[in-house]
Amino acid sequence: MEKMPSPLWTNSTSLERMTGTWRNALPYYKNLPSPCHGACPVDGEIAQWLLQVNKEDHFGAWITLVDNNPFPSIAGRICHHPCETSCNRTNLDETVGICSLERFVGDKALADGWAFAKPQEERPEKIAIIGGGPAGLSAAYQLRRRGFQVDLFEARPALGGLLRYGIPAYRLDKSILDQEIARIIDLGITTHLNAEVLDAKALKKLRENYDAVYLATGASKPKALPGLDYCADYVLDSAEFLAATNAGEKCELGEHLVVIGGGSAAMDVARTARRLGHRVSVLSLEPDELLPAQRAEVDEAKEEGIGFICSSMLKSVVAGDDGITLRCTKIDFKPGETRGAFSMSEVDGGTFDLTAHAIIPAIGQDADIDRWTGMLNAQGPVVATDAKWQTETDGIFAGGDLASMDRFVTQAIGMGKHAAVAIAGYVCPDQVVSQPDKGAEVPYKAINTAYHPKEQRNAQAHLMVDVRLQSFKEVQLPLPEAEAIKEAGRCFTCGTCTLCDNCFLYCPDVAIKKVDGGYTVDADYCKGCGLCVAECPTGSIAMQEES
Amino acid sequence: MEAIKYEENGQFHSGHVACAGCVEALALRVVLNTVGQDAVAVVPPSCTAVICGGYPFSSVKIPVFHTTLESGAASASGVKRALVAKGKPDTTVLCLAGDGGTYDIGLQALSSAAERNEDILYVCFDNEGYMNTGGQKSSSTPLNAVTGSTPAGKLTRKKNMVEILAAHRIPYIATASPSDLNDLTDKVKKAKNIRGMKVLIILIPCLPGWGVADDRAVACAREAVNAGVFPLFEVEDGTKYTLNVKEKVQPVNSYLAMQKRYRQLSEEKISAIQADVDEDWQRLMDKTNGR
Repeated sequence: MEKMPSPLWTNSTSLERMTGTWRNALPYYKNLPSPCHGACPVDGEIAQWLLQVNKEDHFGAWITLVDNNPFPSIAGRICHHPCETSCNRTNLDETVGICSLERFVGDKALADGWAFAKPQEERPEKIAIIGGGPAGLSAAYQLRRRGFQVDLFEARPALGGLLRYGIPAYRLDKSILDQEIARIIDLGITTHLNAEVLDAKALKKLRENYDAVYLATGASKPKALPGLDYCADYVLDSAEFLAATNAGEKCELGEHLVVIGGGSAAMDVARTARRLGHRVSVLSLEPDELLPAQRAEVDEAKEEGIGFICSSMLKSVVAGDDGITLRCTKIDFKPGETRGAFSMSEVDGGTFDLTAHAIIPAIGQDADIDRWTGMLNAQGPVVATDAKWQTETDGIFAGGDLASMDRFVTQAIGMGKHAAVAIAGYVCPDQVVSQPDKGAEVPYKAINTAYHPKEQRNAQAHLMVDVRLQSFKEVQLPLPEAEAIKEAGRCFTCGTCTLCDNCFLYCPDVAIKKVDGGYTVDADYCKGCGLCVAECPTGSIAMQEES
Repeated sequence: MEAIKYEENGQFHSGHVACAGCVEALALRVVLNTVGQDAVAVVPPSCTAVICGGYPFSSVKIPVFHTTLESGAASASGVKRALVAKGKPDTTVLCLAGDGGTYDIGLQALSSAAERNEDILYVCFDNEGYMNTGGQKSSSTPLNAVTGSTPAGKLTRKKNMVEILAAHRIPYIATASPSDLNDLTDKVKKAKNIRGMKVLIILIPCLPGWGVADDRAVACAREAVNAGVFPLFEVEDGTKYTLNVKEKVQPVNSYLAMQKRYRQLSEEKISAIQADVDEDWQRLMDKTNGR
């Protein structure tokens, strides 16, 4: 006879009971985009590479970075970093110092000599890229790593465009530029220097010889300030000044210079001139708080002893024996609805005189569109393109300052990337990649800040002012490794699972299981309480009602 | 971010019948996994009894002895002595009780076991009321909290169980919270390695009893700690007080606001709660500083 189990003892575990039937919603894991990703001009996977830096996987971080941007060292120095403005952490204390961390990873790659992986396959299609600035180089990189044959045409004797001829060395050391460009060219890109594509006819010929053409010749024509005689010997345009000084040439301009403009280029001119021993005043239409240059640039310029005469307009210039007199007036400046638009009115009795020796207007550059008449059409001040950066001529794509008014270096890098993807799809339809819907960005309220104690960001060290004024050494100093790892740890990692195990360890129902590279919810037992969602430090779990 | 470090090793199973989002089940999971396989649990009637059992199933891997409400600590004492007699002196005996079985009905047995310094680890899952029977007040229910038997709010303050136990001069007493699982884990580990009577009181915000949303129990416990309503501390040998969270960082308001049992409190009543919390905090600070 079978032995009866004792009625006093349990005979099974509670696993017999399927408590999942209680549930009306089930958690699911979804890597959602972070606000910094949405703001990034190159669609950088910022949360991902910051996490890699924090885990001391710097090579992994670099691989993640260069998937979208081959210039982390450059962007880490000069990007206008909209990511930091959009950072969820600004709601708690201060943004994560993303830009300084990008520089950290980029510099680590250069120091350790990390190279890009060669293309996995060689493809026969040939692409011509005209313009070796940030947009052209970015497109060349993205096309070459997909295996296309890339010919890069640059009008000047060296690659880099604005990065070389516009940005002064105290913001971007030329050796950094050289190294990051060389790393791209080493992928097997054929370069043609001093090879200007002169006109529409030359462009047409190129188009005939290549499967597609990418045009990124920048904005090379200085905007003219009305009422200023550009032929006078006391006027020198900013682009000319920066190109000359970047090449180490001297400009004989006298002691006191007035720079007209309030953008990044004006700051570059003013601070360069200051380093060459000039007394410098910046004259801008915008009031101080609305100067279009990055705030750090303005602050650093002031530290360097540059005078700012804001909300002011030049009316006329009188040349004298020893220098010039600028007749100016105070104005009331009102910003418009779109970037760059504004209205203004003169302030009664606001006229004043300014004595100086030379004027450097730095009010921006226009794209040279006339050159392509017959092949390309204009759309306002830029070349007309469709959403995929294709111009009205089949197979000719355009980007960078030539095709957009978003005039930031990283915007150009992003445009180069996007055009490269479009070009790859154009020449070879099997390379068309559909962009999956990534879902809504993770809002601040989805982050459980109990796991993120308040902590101020790193204070990126700067060169002392007296040292700055004696050289063109970089003003911003690199972040030491220990500080970089710590700073990366401030990232909320919005929307990206960090495998922290909180969901696994907090579940009162032991209903979350670890699987290879992540977690899964055991629907047999999950009661749908949502505690895993509430205690997720990154906002990468959400509840979903079941149909 | 500090990683949570308790180790999951299969001591607690899915399929138990705790409410969705119950952090008593969570705290039980942490305690059982930290204590490990070589243990026996004694459980008086309580939510824990329901969570562990539901005959003929068990959600707990170690043997569980269900005892009566007034005799938790006495039964645990007997089980421990029997194990010692059988040559198993290292087996941990847990007594897993609620606040009714600790502050009220089980207090006599607990006091006696403490007086005898029995070698047991007594864990009180303190949800501040008889929540398993529909939510009546216990002597752990705090001032002004509404329960089924205090519909206008409780008129007296929460019993200070730690001070009662400290008066017994037992080796170890600690408070813990499901909002700080590392602190809880450390305290269980520490208690396990002390011979004699150990008592751990864990705050358990009760979802239906307190009127807290299903996913908010941990957040509620966190607010309790941050507001100093439930300070995390240890008492060794009845005299040596150690604070584990050094300061209270916010007033009680946001803690009260997330619970329906404090709904529609007048400013006066909120002030009375704040005054009690401040007074208790000061008393605790004085003890910590050896005054």
